[in-house]
Amino acid sequence: MSVEVNGIFVAAHELKSPLNILRQLALSMELDDKKSLEWTKSQMVEISERAIKQVNDLTKVARLEDGLFELEPVSIRAVCDDVLKELRFLYRGNHRGVVEKYTNKSRLVIANKEMLYSVIYNFCSNAMRYSDENTKVAVSVRDKKGKVELKVRDYGPALPTKIWKELKHGFISEPTSIAMRPGSSGLGLYIASKFSKFMNAEVSAVRHRDGTSFTLVLPVSSQTSLF
Amino acid sequence: MLTYIIEDDKVMGELFSRYLKGISDTKIFRDAISAINNISEDKPDLILLDILLTGPDGFTFLNEIVSYEDTAKIPVVIVSSLKLKAEKLEEYNVSRILNKETMMPEDVKKIAKEILAKSESSEGKNE
Repeated sequence: MSVEVNGIFVAAHELKSPLNILRQLALSMELDDKKSLEWTKSQMVEISERAIKQVNDLTKVARLEDGLFELEPVSIRAVCDDVLKELRFLYRGNHRGVVEKYTNKSRLVIANKEMLYSVIYNFCSNAMRYSDENTKVAVSVRDKKGKVELKVRDYGPALPTKIWKELKHGFISEPTSIAMRPGSSGLGLYIASKFSKFMNAEVSAVRHRDGTSFTLVLPVSSQTSLF
Repeated sequence: MLTYIIEDDKVMGELFSRYLKGISDTKIFRDAISAINNISEDKPDLILLDILLTGPDGFTFLNEIVSYEDTAKIPVVIVSSLKLKAEKLEEYNVSRILNKETMMPEDVKKIAKEILAKSESSEGKNE
């Protein structure tokens, strides 16, 4: 199977998954009482929004070479804040917490704001999904040898070795086969890896006995921060 | 009566649990390992099993349970969007295969009722 066809296959599979859940949620509505109906509605909205986000990101990946996206000085702290603000309710609803630590003196990185948002969102939503209940995901940003490193550490099942090996080379060459990371983050990580490459950033992952850390290292902007 | 629901999607797992309300108690596991760690103690009467799981998949789980005498005969209903052939699953104790893309809540209820009633009557005979 060619890389392109395999990519379409994996993307189709991953987008089929939220559709199956939406279908079941819709079918279950007639069994719901008033309280359950609220839950069902909120799940339908959440799942649809996640799927829309993924489709939007996929569209961007397909158009990366069209020169539509520019790199500019971006405040990484501001983007992290926006992502965590958006995910706050999702974290709370899933009984997970977040700890943030910013020690970077270089405030601005060279990036595309929308893509950086997508990458951090992907890391943080994955971390929530694969963390055990009542654990806290750690998000940290620090300076590292003239660059800025963002790290998202979760506490749950470790990343499969096959994906870890691919990320060791700093890039996922094609969407992860469904057999490696079933119904989950393979596509999201592939998108994050594509965006990172476009921004001249490096993605990597470290497997821990009790979870996984994803890191993104970005070039620093020499422009003075106004934030 | 206890049913294990092994499903890595939290919402889907919760929905299955709702479908079985009034039919069986349920325990939801989001990965095969945690289900394996509890199964010999709980000895569930039925297992609803997704195949594509985070970490070891549903087949790893099936291999594990059929290899032990105390869990080998627990009936399993596979709930997956994969197109699976029943004959390939003959070596496991798979009672039914439900397709996530087409199944209805009533299908889950009906099948669970049938299997649990059967296991209840065979337990009665054995007593």
